[in-house]
Amino acid sequence: MIKKITESEVYENTRKRISRRTFIRSGAFLGGSALLVSQLNWACNLLSKAEAGTLTPQEIYELSKAKNIIYSVCLQCHTDCPIKAKLLNGVLVKIDGPAYSSQSMLPHISYSTSPAKAATMEGKLCPKGQAGIQSLYDPYRIVKVLKRTGPRGSNQWETIPFDKAIDEIINGGLLFKNVKGEENRNVLGLKNLYSVRDPNVQKTLSIDAKRVAKKEMTIADFKTKHVDHINLLLDPRHPDLGPINNQFVIQAGRIEHGRKEFAKRWLNDAFGSVNFFEHTSICEQSHHIAYIMATNKYKNGKWFGGKEHMKPDTLNSEFIIYFGTGAFEANFGPPPMAEKVTDGIITGRLKIAVVDPRFSKTAAKAWMWVPLKPGMDGALALGMIRWIIENKRFDRTFLTNANLAAAKDSGEPSWSTAAWLVKIDKDGTPGKYVRASELKLGDENSFVVLKNGIPTAFNPYDTKTAVEGDLMVNTAVQGIQVKSAFQLLWESAASKTLDEWAELCGINSTTITALAQEFTSHGKKSVAEFYRGPVKHTNGYYNALALISLNLMVGNPDWVGGLSVGGGHWHEDGSKPGNPFNLKKMHPNKLGAFGLKISREKAFYEKTTLFNGYPAKRPFYPFTSNLYQEILPSVKADYPYSIKALFLHKGTPGFSVPGAQAQLDVLVNKEKLPLLFACDIVIGESSMFADYIFPDLSVWERWGMPHVTPDVQTKTSKVRQPIVAPLTETVKVFGEEMPICMETIMLAIAEKLNLPGYGGNGLGNGWDFKRPEDYYLKMVANIAIGDKEGETVPDADNPELELFLKSRSHLSKPIFDQQRWEKTVGSDKWKKVVYVLNRGGRYENFIKAYNGNYLGHKFNGLFSLYAEPVATTNHSMTGKPFFGMPVYEPIKDAAGEIVVQDGYDLSLITYKEILGGQSRTLPNDYWLSSILSENYILINSRDAELLGFSNGDKAKVVSTTNPEGVWNFNNGKKKPVVGKVKVIEGIRRGTVAVSWHFGHWAYGATDLKVDGKLIKGDERRTTGLCTNVVLLTDPYLKDVCMTDPIGGSSSFSDTKVKLIKV
Amino acid sequence: MQQTYIKENLVVKMQEDLKRALQKPMNKRSWIMVIDTDKCIGCNACVVSCIAENVSPPGVSYRVVNDIEDGEYPEVSRYFMPTNCQQCDNPPCIEGIPEDAYTKRADGILVFHYDKLKGKKLFQKVENQCPYTAVYYDEGTFYTANTPKLEPYETRPSYEYGEEWSRVGKGQSPINAVRKCHFCLHRLEASMLPACVTTCVGRAMYFGDKNDTDNVVNKLLKNRKWVLINESEGTKPRVFYLTGTILNKETCMTCHG
Ligand code: SF4
Ligand code: SF4
Repeated sequence: MIKKITESEVYENTRKRISRRTFIRSGAFLGGSALLVSQLNWACNLLSKAEAGTLTPQEIYELSKAKNIIYSVCLQCHTDCPIKAKLLNGVLVKIDGPAYSSQSMLPHISYSTSPAKAATMEGKLCPKGQAGIQSLYDPYRIVKVLKRTGPRGSNQWETIPFDKAIDEIINGGLLFKNVKGEENRNVLGLKNLYSVRDPNVQKTLSIDAKRVAKKEMTIADFKTKHVDHINLLLDPRHPDLGPINNQFVIQAGRIEHGRKEFAKRWLNDAFGSVNFFEHTSICEQSHHIAYIMATNKYKNGKWFGGKEHMKPDTLNSEFIIYFGTGAFEANFGPPPMAEKVTDGIITGRLKIAVVDPRFSKTAAKAWMWVPLKPGMDGALALGMIRWIIENKRFDRTFLTNANLAAAKDSGEPSWSTAAWLVKIDKDGTPGKYVRASELKLGDENSFVVLKNGIPTAFNPYDTKTAVEGDLMVNTAVQGIQVKSAFQLLWESAASKTLDEWAELCGINSTTITALAQEFTSHGKKSVAEFYRGPVKHTNGYYNALALISLNLMVGNPDWVGGLSVGGGHWHEDGSKPGNPFNLKKMHPNKLGAFGLKISREKAFYEKTTLFNGYPAKRPFYPFTSNLYQEILPSVKADYPYSIKALFLHKGTPGFSVPGAQAQLDVLVNKEKLPLLFACDIVIGESSMFADYIFPDLSVWERWGMPHVTPDVQTKTSKVRQPIVAPLTETVKVFGEEMPICMETIMLAIAEKLNLPGYGGNGLGNGWDFKRPEDYYLKMVANIAIGDKEGETVPDADNPELELFLKSRSHLSKPIFDQQRWEKTVGSDKWKKVVYVLNRGGRYENFIKAYNGNYLGHKFNGLFSLYAEPVATTNHSMTGKPFFGMPVYEPIKDAAGEIVVQDGYDLSLITYKEILGGQSRTLPNDYWLSSILSENYILINSRDAELLGFSNGDKAKVVSTTNPEGVWNFNNGKKKPVVGKVKVIEGIRRGTVAVSWHFGHWAYGATDLKVDGKLIKGDERRTTGLCTNVVLLTDPYLKDVCMTDPIGGSSSFSDTKVKLIKV
Repeated sequence: MQQTYIKENLVVKMQEDLKRALQKPMNKRSWIMVIDTDKCIGCNACVVSCIAENVSPPGVSYRVVNDIEDGEYPEVSRYFMPTNCQQCDNPPCIEGIPEDAYTKRADGILVFHYDKLKGKKLFQKVENQCPYTAVYYDEGTFYTANTPKLEPYETRPSYEYGEEWSRVGKGQSPINAVRKCHFCLHRLEASMLPACVTTCVGRAMYFGDKNDTDNVVNKLLKNRKWVLINESEGTKPRVFYLTGTILNKETCMTCHG
């Protein structure tokens, strides 16, 4: 029986000594993780010494001592701020921002500073990060494996041994014969799905499947050739779908570098399934895709390798427009960003404008707040571009440079395709860039501009012959109709008058002019910054491209105060010549994967054997990856194939995807989803539907190598490492003791299924892969040694080596063993690894941030003002091509039809408070919820008056998709989407905003039964509302939210709602 | 060539200021806090840092950040206003309180003696007399009481006033005591700035010795406009609020003159 500790029981103890009995009885959720005895007698010796009066204040203050500090990395949000974790007897008690860190100090201290000295120095960290202690020590954390004993979603569980759970998942069978209605349900195990096992077979099947798709081989020939292996494939008629291995899917939520590579190596490279997913499309994917399209390299007919994220050099900018984002909440982090803004405003260096229907905290400091209509960011940008071009306020030099040589001549690190010629079809549709070969002016990898009216060919990367081009071109060359990319952008911008753009945006045209005027009044020190707001729409990609084009108008890339690619990182994956461990290559007998992903992402409909005219049965998404929202609906539709097992890791589609009901409905569907297992730290809104839940380690107990935001201008490699002893159960895999976590599950399955690349010599000769750190410490070694020769960090000296051990004296074998750690990187590298671990990563000194007028780390590349790959691809449903330049597009469904929501008048947007992320923060971190205990429906005072709402009134949120305004958990329970109205001035009329953290029904918010015992949920965790279930499902597809067909973003901000008084 | 913008780190500088001040005898230094309302972003990092640092239970938060909306759509303003004990030189809160229950230190910090300043009655008196709503009563509760597990970060000791305090055991100080901000005295003495200052995300918080003319805080007070809250009541507060860019002095004075 899990007993709740009462306050009187606590009082029984004395101040100086907590009795062991109380702690053990209070136990831990689901019966594990008792504290170590040593943790119970809080610093008794110290206390007696203090009482004897022999201690100085510094000695008393344990948290100022290096031996009580471990540096690691936060993950309460994806900013991944480095943290200085302070421990008392092995318990994490305080988290601060490390002085070493480029995200928490401005500027950060020298990397060579000794940890002893740094111990009393610390910097910024946001409230979520500091409350990480409460996510680590969450009383609802699970520590053992749970198996459901009732129907899916019934919240009835039993604890079972780890090995038994692994066996069942691998072997399948009548796994739920004790559950009513499932007595005869035979579940296929992973061994049945681990179909192709021979790397050579996988390879030849893959090659020939591609040939079939390309129509270079007939199906008949394929079948004959592969007769022995045809039954290993999903569908012999469509070999390009891949092998049965693909029926095992991993749907991951917040998975980052380190873990991501670990998991992909396991699923893709060892198990042979293509279906690994991150959650990016419910985050900001279209922002990434637009940046990639704008920054792709060109080589031999291919566009590739674009950068997914750029940011202002906020420390030196003079004017920044934040479109649908800010510097003080969400985005890529208040700790690195905020001070650069507040400092700029105070010193008069920086002016900011905030374009957002909501008056955010950032807007509070803005020169101008522009409350535009949701989703009209692209329209605003095009309006500004129109004005900028009409008034000739663009950076002509930057834009006319057509190749590297021209850029160099004018001192520009980067250049663009503005002047490049694009072919125009008979019906006026722009297509590919003109190749020099078509005009007999050069080869097929050279392009053409008009230079003073004369067609001139060039290679984009030519360093010798500078070629500049005319910007406005609309003519015929040798009978081919052409326009310049700049002309196409102009035509798009000029397709409406300023007044028409303003009307679409719901603002005055004078606002557009004022923004454009200011934007072009600071040389290259103006930046249009955006993140999630503008792109969570079906037109997200085009909005993003318009905003990137705005930056190109002022030619700001790579300049101090301009647009920055960031300082980057040392390559933990080992892909650079200097790195000692190239982990991608360290995979003996790698199986590899092939086939179409269940979401049909990164695939061109026309290039598959599924092509059968338009529309496709479900959309294809040729440009995006990680299409989170489309996984479960595709599973339900069995398109392009059915799946058998889903591993849900640290994510919650049933809660966090727009139109969430469609996702929830699949999670309970045992026919479509025969085996569902999850891995997380607490039982969440989606994992509560799982067949098995494995406990995971929280970020304060495990490894990770997250990358740095481009807001930071110096090279930064952060290392997340275990701070406290694991709270989850210890198990044995490959004969080694380790705590249960995602990696342990993968290693255990690898051991039982004999997957290639694990166990003895799993990483190659002499390199075992039996434990998580066999992999992660090699990443640390790569960071320590660096990307090129002569870049290594110093060795840790003796005091540092000693400190390293002392500060880990509370960590025991299953997680820390110095000899084992040393062996896994090699003794020659060990002291360098310690040097990095003692600082929680590697930080280039601040002096490297700038180089004269330029950023220290530059993009140095080509910008596409017109994205050829997009322009030459068809929408898989309409069969019509997309546009290469940014255009204004209304909100459309999957079939390309404009979405109508008659009778619903209020636009609904979501946002994040700085106190919360989507998960792990509000309301379950009690320090945070003591500041904000619930969220509200924010509404403008005049709208409230019209609708008869006053502050604090309760309202239900309803939409065309969810006219009832309710979550249906399919377990007999429902939750209405009801919250309190907060009447404010700081929101656009006609728009309501609901922050996205609250409204939980699991995650410690509900009662559950484990081993027959009741575990009460916590009322404090049920507060507020989550509107995701009200957001539109696609009117055409009906079983998934709307999606940006190019950028892949799920539509979060295109829904109109009504508020109903309750 | 254009000058790039490289700043000196204000936290490092303030810590050097602090170490310098600590070398003087206590009566020669005079601690003050300076809060830039124009730079405060209302993030509440300082609040959480303070709670964690001092192991404050539910209902106790020495630092509060007010979020105030002003104006009418679309002419909206929003201000963030961090408050805490002002360590008044003329503290009204202690009037009529037993003298052994507090110490007004020579460096300006007002110390509450947890073992003496105890009980609801004394608390109510102190609370009523404080014009800054800066004092709290420790009810002896825990955030994770009544959950499956009382978590160890709640029973760990704090180091307030340079002593070790664990809130385990009925009535064990600081349970039932009157609690408030003490400028993180225990950190100051260990050469560390107050927890709210180092963590401040907007870099809106400053700390130093009023008697050191060459330090960060005095430079700020020289170059910027500032206000003291409820100055007219004669409390002589030690927390200075910088204004002038976003929030002007007059706006502050409408409520806190
Ligand atoms: S911004 Fe806050 S929550 Fe996000 S990583 Fe940084 S400290 Fe953690
Ligand atoms: S940490 Fe700083 S910026 Fe954040 S609320 Fe506190 S004073 Fe304001």
